[in-house]
Amino acid sequence: MESVKATRRKRLAAMVLGLALLAGLLSGCTGTPGKETIRFTFSKREAIGFMTKLVADYNASQDRTEVVLDTSGVDVVSASFVRGNPPDVALANYNMETSRFVQRGALSDLSGTEAAGRIRGDLQPLMDQYGSYPGRTSALPYSVMASSVIYNKEIFAAHNIAVPKTWSELIAACEALKAVGVTPFYATWKDDWTIAQGWFDYSVGGQVDTIDFFKKLAAEGTRVGPDSSASFQKDFDQPVGKMLTLAQNYVNKDAASRAYGDGNLAFSQGKAAMYLQGPWAFSEIAKTAPGMELGTFPLPMTEDPQDLRVRVNVDLAAWIPEASQHKEAAREFLEYLYRPEVIDAYNASQLGFGPTKDSAKATDPRVAGMAEYYEQSRVYQGPSVLVPRTIPIMNYTQAIVFGASPASTLRTLDADWARLAFRQ
Amino acid sequence: MTTQATLPIDDTQRGSGARTHRRKKAAPSPERVNWPATTILVLCAVTVLLPLYVTVSMAFKTQGQAVDGNAFSLPAPFSIDGFVQAWTLTNFPVGAAMSLLVTAGTVLATIVLAAFASYAIVRNWERRFFRYSFFYLLGAMFIPFPVVALPQIQLTGHLGLDNPFGVILLATMFQLSFSVLLFTAFLRSIPLELEESARIDGATTWQTFWKLIFPLLAPMSATVGIFAFLYAWNDFMMPSLIISDPALQTLPVRQNLFQTQFSNNYHVSFASYLMAMAPAIVAYLFTQRWVMAGVTQGAVKG
Repeated sequence: MESVKATRRKRLAAMVLGLALLAGLLSGCTGTPGKETIRFTFSKREAIGFMTKLVADYNASQDRTEVVLDTSGVDVVSASFVRGNPPDVALANYNMETSRFVQRGALSDLSGTEAAGRIRGDLQPLMDQYGSYPGRTSALPYSVMASSVIYNKEIFAAHNIAVPKTWSELIAACEALKAVGVTPFYATWKDDWTIAQGWFDYSVGGQVDTIDFFKKLAAEGTRVGPDSSASFQKDFDQPVGKMLTLAQNYVNKDAASRAYGDGNLAFSQGKAAMYLQGPWAFSEIAKTAPGMELGTFPLPMTEDPQDLRVRVNVDLAAWIPEASQHKEAAREFLEYLYRPEVIDAYNASQLGFGPTKDSAKATDPRVAGMAEYYEQSRVYQGPSVLVPRTIPIMNYTQAIVFGASPASTLRTLDADWARLAFRQ
Repeated sequence: MTTQATLPIDDTQRGSGARTHRRKKAAPSPERVNWPATTILVLCAVTVLLPLYVTVSMAFKTQGQAVDGNAFSLPAPFSIDGFVQAWTLTNFPVGAAMSLLVTAGTVLATIVLAAFASYAIVRNWERRFFRYSFFYLLGAMFIPFPVVALPQIQLTGHLGLDNPFGVILLATMFQLSFSVLLFTAFLRSIPLELEESARIDGATTWQTFWKLIFPLLAPMSATVGIFAFLYAWNDFMMPSLIISDPALQTLPVRQNLFQTQFSNNYHVSFASYLMAMAPAIVAYLFTQRWVMAGVTQGAVKG
């Protein structure tokens, strides 16, 4: 009996000890006393180093607020909204996912901030495309990514090829490259997003006014089809045809089996002259070829150089949730983020473009080719990101380059759109 | 099992020594190699070893070499940059501690609670309440976590369980149904007479369970523990949604940082994966015997 009691006592002691340890572990995670702690969500992997330093600078510069950087990503943020303890401030990719929070009024109004007054007015349509909440400026653009054709300056110079400004010049350049045995475009069709983002968006955006098109499409709703004022089968037919001209004649032979990573490697080895990717590919290419001379130009789809446009998307937007308990402190930090020297330094480091009226010009030679278009607001938003995620547009575009009939695929897209409109 | 298999061989060797001698002359090697089976087994081994080799070699590569398209090349120059980056990016010590806490908690809670429940159910099988509670527990097998994720997030938030403890609780609950199934099947094979003898010696139910039944359940506890360990250590979705403080997040969620669309950092990712795999591999090396016995325990009806 004595031994039973002893083991029982031991067991109890072990349990208490374990609980005490756990409690200590959890309570050890509270912030600095006397300071208001705000949680700042930021999960752009490439820029975490930059942001860590920025947050440290801010924390050292004042003694009211302690900013904690949270890099745990999208799922965690969505869950935190459900739970009712969202981050206090966030810089996140602006997309359909965020639009849900915007449309349901989960984000607070930022129109009163000093930063909001400095945002370029022509960027508003880009933000509004993902929906808005009446009477509120729910999110502010922070970094805009412009993407277009990346080209290898050395190859272009070696064969005396000028940057094409019209469709026929583009074809001539491709023919010239092909004649000397250089692959004009490196395509990575194994990853369907590279087709949607590059091939499809550049071709369509170069010819169709995407904002206007999607407005009409939304107005037509369930009537979208062969007889509606706007439809995929009518408006996208020609651009997709041109995309196929390029895709069938001027790409690497193994395009179908190459993925994004293979493309970056091949392009850095000079295996092709042009690459349809955004600025995020530059840092990947630089991993194997740090000194490579690269440039960018908008893909010409018509015979008029005035039609040249670059694809843009709001890579980062700033927002403060309505449910945040520390809105004032969060706003103060937001104003800090928008200080010209801070926002310019960020965008320069990530090859992004600044959204404020007073932002510095992009000077990196790799994106300088697009600066002119961005300044004059000759931009479009990629159609592939404007189609709701329920419609598998990436797979459709992949099917088209792999040989499916473009006409029937675009008809399917119309039918999908109408069906979705009917359901909502 | 083993004794039965060896007996016939002993018989033939003892019974016909001369014949074996003759056969030895014909074929110089004493053991014949079953080539088809060996080939298949080698191929199977390769499917495990090759990815493991790539993981290890990739982890020690430099950034430039990691993306050069030659996954099978040896690291040259040898670099631990990946480990250094992975260590700081995921805050590895804290992440590993959290994973360990969640895993240990889940394993212990699953074994103890499932054993409790199974013992009560099996010994009271004739009562309707216990029979139905068995079906109720099994019913959880039909409910995957994603289905109930949304209410669970809200519930844990309201109850202040949006931390590793909430994950332990939920993971245990989801693990319970399968574990109860295993335990009940095993418990039915333990004769009631053993318990009766303990009762005669004056043991209470509690004592009977801890002194007699629980030790007898050990092999099945190992099996249940292994399944719970694998589940809790590798789970991504539940901790990512339930734990609200990023400082308390588990390793798999922290490693999600490496999966981005636009950039490849194989050397950092693989270094991190290797570090996360290490505890499981080390544990396996030491407990190999029980793990193998345990896994088959669940597969074959005893």
